[in-house]
This record gives sequence, structure tokens and C-alpha cells, in this order.
Amino acid sequence: MEVVKSVWSADETASVPYWVYTDPDVYQSELDRIWYGEHWLYCGLEVEVPEIGNFRTLTLGQRPVIMTRNSATEISVVENRCAHRGTRLCWERSGKAQNLTCPYHQWTYDLTGNLQGVPFRRGIAGQGGMPADFKPSDNNLRRLRVESVNGLVWATFSERTPPFREYLGPKLWPQYERVWSGRKLRVVGYNRQRIQGNWKLMLENNKDPYHAALLHTFFATFGLFRPDQKSALQMDDTGRHACLSSVMGQGGANAVTAALPGYDASMKLQDPRLTQALKELPGEETISDITLFPSAILLQQVNSLQTRQIVPHGPGVFDFIWTFVGFDDDDAEMQQRRVRHANLFGPSGFVSADDSEVIQQAQRGFEMSANEGSALTLMGGRKVESASNMATETAIRGMYGYYRTVMEL
Amino acid sequence: MGNTSLGAGSIEDIAAVQAFYADYMEVLDDERLQEWPDFFTEDCLYQIIPRENFDRDSALCLMQADGRNMLLDRVQGILKTQKYGPQRCRRFYSGLKISRVEGGVIHTRQNVVAFRSLLDQPTSILLCGASYDQLCRSDSRLLLQRRVVVSDTEIIDNALILPL
Repeated sequence: MEVVKSVWSADETASVPYWVYTDPDVYQSELDRIWYGEHWLYCGLEVEVPEIGNFRTLTLGQRPVIMTRNSATEISVVENRCAHRGTRLCWERSGKAQNLTCPYHQWTYDLTGNLQGVPFRRGIAGQGGMPADFKPSDNNLRRLRVESVNGLVWATFSERTPPFREYLGPKLWPQYERVWSGRKLRVVGYNRQRIQGNWKLMLENNKDPYHAALLHTFFATFGLFRPDQKSALQMDDTGRHACLSSVMGQGGANAVTAALPGYDASMKLQDPRLTQALKELPGEETISDITLFPSAILLQQVNSLQTRQIVPHGPGVFDFIWTFVGFDDDDAEMQQRRVRHANLFGPSGFVSADDSEVIQQAQRGFEMSANEGSALTLMGGRKVESASNMATETAIRGMYGYYRTVMEL
Repeated sequence: MGNTSLGAGSIEDIAAVQAFYADYMEVLDDERLQEWPDFFTEDCLYQIIPRENFDRDSALCLMQADGRNMLLDRVQGILKTQKYGPQRCRRFYSGLKISRVEGGVIHTRQNVVAFRSLLDQPTSILLCGASYDQLCRSDSRLLLQRRVVVSDTEIIDNALILPL
């Protein structure tokens, strides 16, 4: 019996059929058109590979890659897959090497992926070896296009992807540059989690200010984010990226907090240092949450700065890798503050753990009725437009407008 | 091997420390979370930290508290503000060793495994690692002045809500 998918009416972005989150064919097409298509994917920070020969392994889409520092000014990203037998070359998370050597048969590549050496290429005592027409230059590692933009490294599998700054668009560039200005960065540390949900749900979550004070009682209770504070939701011209920024208000109970479940004005933090922040960036924004389609979320809140990388593993599961970042010249007190503020984020975060939990619950709902229901994003109407009102899902609609074009769905 | 298998502590120390951890596990496993901060000193350090951070001397944790007040905030978060599915967590500490006793501070090391049981799902391993703690005596009671749980588990399955 053939399964009949529910219809996704043309131009509809305010409702998304559940199968868009569960169908293996849709997922495969996303890998081809989005992850390996004309999009920049987050790789890491320049300071993670500070010296020539430093390397770091990671996964882009589902493909393992190696980020290396091959010269003082250049970072390379190559596929972590030997041209010989397809073996993963580099098994460590990070390290330092003069070249990349496959453990299986010791094929050796330089740091930019050029094949340098094949043991016994000419055989042993004139016997065996590679055919005379074997050309090492036809067997290099696949090298991705790379751009290093103010300390963050991005790579793309496509030759046609526009330059990063153009890809992000002029509306969001100032938001990127505000936090990631080129000031030298420092890795504070990592958190990793695996979430049983579709990768798009994490982007949707960060494009959705509607949930922030309703789901996250911690936000509303301690005044970190409330729907009545000054906020802005901006998108690039394609609708795929967004930035939610907001300025913490004075707090206190009012008509808005009356509508927030769990809000209790009498609840206090025993140790207010958990959220006490020092102003360190231009502008008054206390939150800046950029969704950089499809692979990254860049967040600034209190004194926590993070890059969060999405690594899809199938329609119903993705890894979420948090790199907590500081500035190179942070004093000891600021370093301590960033560690403390990280309590809000990651798999144990006072706030973020709520998100991974609801994403899993959403995915479970989709999978049980994949060809029947649709996820609704009608808040704030059907249009895609920047907003200052937080009762809106416009940026999710924006992403699906772009998604439907690139996926031809 | 003689005393070396007991580590640096006396028989009395070992017995007291073992009883301490049995109480600690009981309070957490029986979901008496409000009592959990009572096991710590006022100025304690509490960390559940990924090994990749620990090994590079980074203090970035999964769960962190510097001071008992921050543990109280963690309890308040878990009980009042955070959203998560119904679950039980059961902790298994084993291989307790007193690695040294210095200035009245007892340094311990043991393995840590935690299992999580969710509704409609088989029980799974939440985290596997080891703890490196420091206990001191206050009014003849043992208290944790430092508890560092280093997680071998590279990637957390969804979320780590409850303390270890």
C-alpha cells in the first residue's frame, strides 16, 4: 500500500506538514540541496587551530572533515576520507601534524589535502605497485571553499555559494559584526548533546520569540527575557537567517507577567552572580540570537557567548555542539563569569535544556502522525516581515519560504 | 598490598566516607533534592565537567556551582522553573579510594555511573565518568568542599537535568 503524504499547499509557510520533519527522502534531498549545496557551514574558530599543523576534526552535514592551519594566514577544510579506501584519516578530535596520513596504508596528504605519498607505489623489487598511469594529483582529498570571517571559520561544498558576507546579507551583517568583530577570541569550553529531533526544529526554536517567556519560566522569572521588553526580529532578504535581539527591562509584575505560567515575582536567585552581567559589547542588546542557516546559532546573552553547531544524523536526530567563547584579553573575573553564566545553556542549562526537551516531544508528535498533521506558525499573521512584537512566528515562516524554493517542495 | 588498597585514609576515614556517599546517593536517588545542598560547605565548588574541558584545564561545565547558594538555585530551577519529562535517575558510585588526606581534607576518587529511566522507554546510561572530591569535617560531620564529576560520556543524550 502506498503511503499518501498530506498536501503542502503552494506558497504555504504558516503550516508545515509533519512529513517535512520525518521523511527520509526529504532528508536526503536536504543533505544534497542544503548541506552540500550553496550554503556556508560553521566549522569552528580560528583560535582552535592557532599554529601551522594544528588540526581539528568535525562533521559538516553528515560528512567528516578536517580543519587545518596550513599557513600563517590560511585555514583549510578537507574531507576526512582517504582517496584510497574511503577510510577516515584522522581519528583524533584535535592535534598537530606535519601532514595527514591514513593509518590503513599510510597514504600521506599535505595539510591542504594534496596526495604526497603512496607507499610501494613502484612495487617491491619491481613487482606490484600502482599502474604507471596512476596520478597522485587525481587522488587528493576533497577540499572545501573556506572563509574565515572575524575569527569564525565557514566552509561550503559548492563553488557557487556567494561570499559569506553576501550570503549573510546586509541586514544581518551588523548583528554578526557587533559580537564577532574580529577581536581575538578564546575557547572557554565545549558541551555536546544528541537530540532526537529534526535539525530544523533547533533553528525554528531560535527564530521563535513567542515561546521564550512561556516555556522558559527561568527567563521570565528572573527578568532575562520578557515579551514586554524592547525587542527586534530581523531577517535577511531570503528569510533563511534571522536575528532576535532584545534589551532586558526593569522587571516586576504587570499584565504581561500575569499571562505567564509559573511566573512568581517572589522567586529570587540565592546567588545573583548566576545572571549578573557586565556590559562588554556595543549597543544595548542583552540578547542577540542569530540563526545562520543551516548549521549555526550564534548567541550572546548575559556574558555568555556561544557558537552552536547543528550536525544532522537523519530526519529524527541531530547533534548540537556548543563552543563557549570568550575574548583573549578576558581577566580572571570575566573568565569565571562566563563559566558561571554557562549554567543557563547547554544540555544542563536552566534555559536550554527546556528547548531540547520540547524539540524531542515535537518530533515524537510528528512521527506518530507524519502524513496527517501540520505544525502551525500563524502567530503574527501569514506574512514574512521583521517584527518588534514578540507574539510572532514570522521568522519561521521566513525560513520555510526559502526552504520551499531551494528544496522545490 | 596491605593498606594500599584502602588508599591513604585510615579504616575510620574509609568507613565514614563510605557512609557519607551512601547518604548522598540516597538523598539524590530518593528525590529529596532540597536536602542535597546540605552535603556541601558554604564556599564549595561543584562541577559536572566534560573530559575534553577538564583535560585542557578549562572550567566550563555541564553543571556548575561556586558556593552552596548556587546549588540552592539549581534545586529551585529543577523543581520550579525547568521543563523536562518525568524521569528517575539512579546513581552508582564505586571503587571508592581515599587518594590522600592533607590538612584534614580527605581527597577521594571513585567511578560514577548514572542511569536514567523515562516513561515508555527502557532505562539508559545517562553518564559515565569519575569523581574527584574533597571532603572536610565541620562539627564532626563530613562536608563536600569540592565535588568534580568528570564525564567520559562525550555526548549527552538530550539533557542532563538532575545532579550527580
